[in-house]
Amino acid sequence: MKRRDFMLAAGAAAGVAMLPRMSFAAEGVIDWYTSSDSNILDFWTNTVKPAFEAAHPGLSLNLVDAGDSAGIIAISERALAAKQTNTDPQADYFEAADPLLPNGAIEAGIFANIKQAGLSNYSKVNPAGIQSDYSLPYRGSQVLLAYDTSKLDPADAPKTWDDLVAWIKANPGQFVYNRPDKGGSGGNFVRRAIHQANGLDPSKFTVSNYTQEFGDEALGKAWELLKDIAPSLYDNGAYSSGNTQSIQLLSQGVVTMAPVWSDQVLQAIDQGVLPPETGLVQLQDLALVGGFTRSVVLETGANRDAALKLADFMLSEEIQSAILTELGGFPGVSWDYISAELRERFADIVPLTIPTFPSGAWEAAINDGWYRNVAPNVDRNS
Amino acid sequence: MTDAVEGAARPLIDNTDSKRPHGLLLVAIPVLLMTWLIIWPIISAIGRTIWRPDAEGNVGFSLSSYVFFFSDQYSLNNLWITLWTTLMCAILLLVICLPIAIYLRFSSGRIPAYVQALAIFPMFVPSIILAYAFIRVLGPNGMVDILLNAVGLPKIRTPYLTPWGPVIGLVWDNIPLTVLILLSGLGNVANHAIEAARDVGANRLQVFWHIILPRISNSVLVAISFAVLGIFSSFTLPYLLGPAAPEMMGPFMNRTFREVNDPLNAITQAVITFGFCIAFGLFYVRSVARNQGK
Repeated sequence: MKRRDFMLAAGAAAGVAMLPRMSFAAEGVIDWYTSSDSNILDFWTNTVKPAFEAAHPGLSLNLVDAGDSAGIIAISERALAAKQTNTDPQADYFEAADPLLPNGAIEAGIFANIKQAGLSNYSKVNPAGIQSDYSLPYRGSQVLLAYDTSKLDPADAPKTWDDLVAWIKANPGQFVYNRPDKGGSGGNFVRRAIHQANGLDPSKFTVSNYTQEFGDEALGKAWELLKDIAPSLYDNGAYSSGNTQSIQLLSQGVVTMAPVWSDQVLQAIDQGVLPPETGLVQLQDLALVGGFTRSVVLETGANRDAALKLADFMLSEEIQSAILTELGGFPGVSWDYISAELRERFADIVPLTIPTFPSGAWEAAINDGWYRNVAPNVDRNS
Repeated sequence: MTDAVEGAARPLIDNTDSKRPHGLLLVAIPVLLMTWLIIWPIISAIGRTIWRPDAEGNVGFSLSSYVFFFSDQYSLNNLWITLWTTLMCAILLLVICLPIAIYLRFSSGRIPAYVQALAIFPMFVPSIILAYAFIRVLGPNGMVDILLNAVGLPKIRTPYLTPWGPVIGLVWDNIPLTVLILLSGLGNVANHAIEAARDVGANRLQVFWHIILPRISNSVLVAISFAVLGIFSSFTLPYLLGPAAPEMMGPFMNRTFREVNDPLNAITQAVITFGFCIAFGLFYVRSVARNQGK
């Protein structure tokens, strides 16, 4: 083919590919959207989709990356508008979404009530993860401590907060956590300090009980704990600027220990960023804070019933085990429904509880308070 | 020569049409866009920070968010570190770029071409990639440490996560523009002026001080104000390489807006940053105006 013809053909092909796709929701094709990272999309493409399609002949998945949560909310808003004209929203399943957003979506009836949908596996869902009848916690991840076993014998790895503080002080410069607003691993380490300072009772903090006085008192005690360890942190109190940077410092052998997300660290080990000998430990007096990812099914979608079958399928032992082994995530069902062999294998990172911490006003208070109280109060040159 | 002069009886730029609005129409679109996307948000931001509802809901004039900023030690530290970083970058940029530009202006051949390509290279490297490369090279246990270790020298005190991290990154990022502007300014320096000075016995320093510097002072001013404007409000490099606190105004504003959910103080910080940038911008405008007046 001549160069000119080739260019013409390639240009035309690219143009066709860029045309907005005018498609109508096909029967039996579940339109699925995610706001998560690419590792989640890979997991669905390579594991969930083939398994689901094999188990449910006639149904298939159309996996679409919606970008971020704002992308999911935009599709929800489209579904709200479609509901008013009784048209098809062309969306059936959100992999990760908050049914409270956009405002009034539940009242308008665009999301399916999963509790009443009659899922055969719904009773297995971990009660700690249920936030709403309209969302389904199907996977979680938790922050734990990763450490370099060549510098710290697993037998000596700290298992309580007090042990951890003692270890940090005994090994100055060997621990780093990232700024709490720049990534959940450092953020949830800070939240664990807040739990520590307030009697190890996560139930003290709810999404609606933030007041200036209670916040100042509860957080103030945590800032004291964190200021106390600050001089013993990496570089006399430097804080990395994200989850990845903490893992990078760990992989370069600069620090011995850092808090990390369970799924990120397992993936880092899998990809060789961290050596296979990397040790993982969870605090046993009260685990570091974790969170669940919740899926939402659209009530008005053309494939509502098929999407609910998918939701049920996600709670099956097959997928829940795969979340643990392949994604490095954390099952959405209670641990009793995970095979004994897997429970054994992941015993180190399996906490008895999955403490959570509310967002809302607390989040802003933590983000501002940490920067004002913990970050600057260190003489870095000493 | 005389032919050419006669041929140019009609001036190159024909001013007879100047009464027609063509020129104005041509600039109308950019001016409208600038008014809509830049000028209006500035006015609106200033308005929203000084004219807002008080506790009872009565809208009125209030400077309380500015009073808070200038009485809050944390905010002042952030402003101070921003000014310090900007000043350090400006000094380092001059120290690094002026010799490069002078070398490129007064030498010829293949090596200066390579040097020029190398000096322009940072322009094509996105700052996020630069930041991660910086961490790999100058970071703790990075390449420099590995090389030093190989020859038995102690590790460097890494600038990563200290105020010097953003300074090094920003200087590297701003070298191309500064070199290019200085180089164009050096085009004004005539070779024969330097040769004449040499003939009467001026040494290198005297040539630089009395011949070159006066001719390029304008370019220096332009180059520095360009670099300073970008550095003062930079975000990526201070965010990735700088310390958690004090932080530069860019990350500080972004964090106040997104993470602390406090738009009022974020806008106040933006207005204050803008005020400083306007001051630097005036240097640039003044030097351009002076140039045009010549």
